[in-house]
Amino acid sequence: MTDSALLDRGLQPERTALAWRRTTLALAVGAIVALRLLSPVLGLRSIAIGLTGLALAAVLWVLSARRAHQATNALPHKSGHLAGGGLLLGLALAVATGAALGLVYVALT
Amino acid sequence: MVNRTATVTGGHNRHPSSQARAHASEDTTPVTARRFPRQVYEVGAEPDPRFTLANERTFLAWIRTALALIAGGVALEALALPIQPTLRRSASIILLLFDLAVPLLAWVIWGAVGRALRQGRPLPGSKVALPVAAGVSLAGVLILLGTVLH
Repeated sequence: MTDSALLDRGLQPERTALAWRRTTLALAVGAIVALRLLSPVLGLRSIAIGLTGLALAAVLWVLSARRAHQATNALPHKSGHLAGGGLLLGLALAVATGAALGLVYVALT
Repeated sequence: MVNRTATVTGGHNRHPSSQARAHASEDTTPVTARRFPRQVYEVGAEPDPRFTLANERTFLAWIRTALALIAGGVALEALALPIQPTLRRSASIILLLFDLAVPLLAWVIWGAVGRALRQGRPLPGSKVALPVAAGVSLAGVLILLGTVLH
């Protein structure tokens, strides 16, 4: 980003990038806390759940960074376009799966 | 901020966006046709990207809410809090059950708002708040009862 005149005053792409980061970090922290809390009940399986969550967060971090770059190029007076909703659907499904796993855990204890 | 694309075009397979942002791509296929989901991108014209980004942040905020509800539901059981066990368990299950709907509804609403933005129509209300409010209220009452009864 060299031409500051093209920067959106509301910093929309930056705010969106930060929202993705907050979400990704929440996912990572959730995975670590799950690993810690669930280990007395689930044993080694809690490590698998924790690592899956962390891997998911890592993938999300990379993909959302790419998305943010694309968003900057989609600002008015620039020529790019915003990304579609594939990543959003993936994230929604992952979180719904997390809720389902939580239900399984509560049912098991 | 002015919505540059207030034109309403109901017809499918029409891509006024190619007119609005003709310089967007050398490719003759309009960018709108190649994005997922089709239900959103097949209508209307490309809105101001700042509105689309705001819609995306709203979706992400609901996702974080959903993550917090999962954490709450699981922690209730995992931490063995001093609450009457049956009520505690019920509160946990209610939080998690309602939370199944939250990310999926957030996705649906994101698409509906995206469509409305593209068509220059009024935005639909957020239906995600209902399961969140209902789940948290119900769980809250159960936890309160469980704490008193313990």
